[in-house]
Amino acid sequence: MTEKPKQKVWGRWVVLAAILVGIYLFYVAKIPYIMPGVFLPAEKVFEIAGFPITNTLIALFFVDLIVLALAFGVKRAIASGKNILTGFSGAIEALVDMLYSMTEGTAGKWAKAIFPWFVTIMLLVLVANWMEMIPGIETVGLIEPAPAGEHGEFTTTQIGPFTGIMKPLSEEGELVKFVPYVRVVSTDLNFTLAIALVVVVMIQVYGIRSQGLAYFSKFWNTGTMFTKPIFGVIDFGVGLLEIVSEFSKVLSFAFRLFGNIFAGSVLLFVIGSLVPVFAQSIFYLLEFFVGAIQAFVFGLLATTFMAQATQGHGGEHHEEAHA
Amino acid sequence: MDIAAAYILGKLIGAGLAMIGAIGAGAGIGIVASGAVQAMGRNPDATGTVQTNMILGIAFAEAVAIYCLVVALLILFAIPMPA
Repeated sequence: MTEKPKQKVWGRWVVLAAILVGIYLFYVAKIPYIMPGVFLPAEKVFEIAGFPITNTLIALFFVDLIVLALAFGVKRAIASGKNILTGFSGAIEALVDMLYSMTEGTAGKWAKAIFPWFVTIMLLVLVANWMEMIPGIETVGLIEPAPAGEHGEFTTTQIGPFTGIMKPLSEEGELVKFVPYVRVVSTDLNFTLAIALVVVVMIQVYGIRSQGLAYFSKFWNTGTMFTKPIFGVIDFGVGLLEIVSEFSKVLSFAFRLFGNIFAGSVLLFVIGSLVPVFAQSIFYLLEFFVGAIQAFVFGLLATTFMAQATQGHGGEHHEEAHA
Repeated sequence: MDIAAAYILGKLIGAGLAMIGAIGAGAGIGIVASGAVQAMGRNPDATGTVQTNMILGIAFAEAVAIYCLVVALLILFAIPMPA
């Protein structure tokens, strides 16, 4: 028991040494640090047979690998025949267990159908968001000569064997463009929009599966038009608004994830260029939290909307109660 | 003032103004969290349900701020420089 605290103390010294090295590099050796430019679209790294491979696509490839590795790891742990999963697969089991009871709470008997969507989306987005934490992502990349008329904002500088980029200090020197090899996939609107479209289409699919064609009475509600003249018209208007709200679901799903993670990675770079030593660590903690929350919220909202679609709309129940 | 300077100036001011909308979302998230914490304090057994619904409420309030961010990003990056 006396061994364990010693290891923790050792870790503390590593952090202190890293801070000191940082202070030496930035304030004594005066290695220039940069504030990278903000580029909204993903950049092309290379292309295969005319198909552009962007840096976010490379990140998505790694995310898929990690999620697959998680899945096979848990599968192997289950196949090993132990009653109680230990270590990492045990943590995954606890997570899935918690999420399943949460899905059962919102979706009821549809939990089994909706649950895979919840966990797939959540794990994918969670791993994608947390990739932001890995050093080297978004900071290691190609240096390309800037084409005329595009944003070339940096000049190159030699730091030991590596070529770094920096803001031009003087007018001389050729301007270059920086393209990271790997960029967090959630900062690409195509990724978030794709998941959002899948989710919103699946909401309609579950609605139709549970209620049949009656699901469309939510959007085109003429049932009460003639029995209750004034409220019937209002119900019809509400139905039309529901159509608008389906489209705004796509927008808010896509932009919530994109906006949060994009703003987060810009924040990390800005803090890193303002206070290059240690201050970024605090914001890494914040981003860790934001990444987890956003992944959870994406999955939870998908579950909630799907569950709502299966439950039918409130008006019919009222009618039954009155009749 | 030449047109390039006016373009940059307008773009930056516009993006800044667009983000004012985030005030509403901030206040909204504060109200949601305050209500949820009160509820949890009064009824600690319901913490799980309250927490889930709080996160949902925060997500909806935040969506408004995200729309502001989108408008600001569009103003910053999507408006081409006039020739």
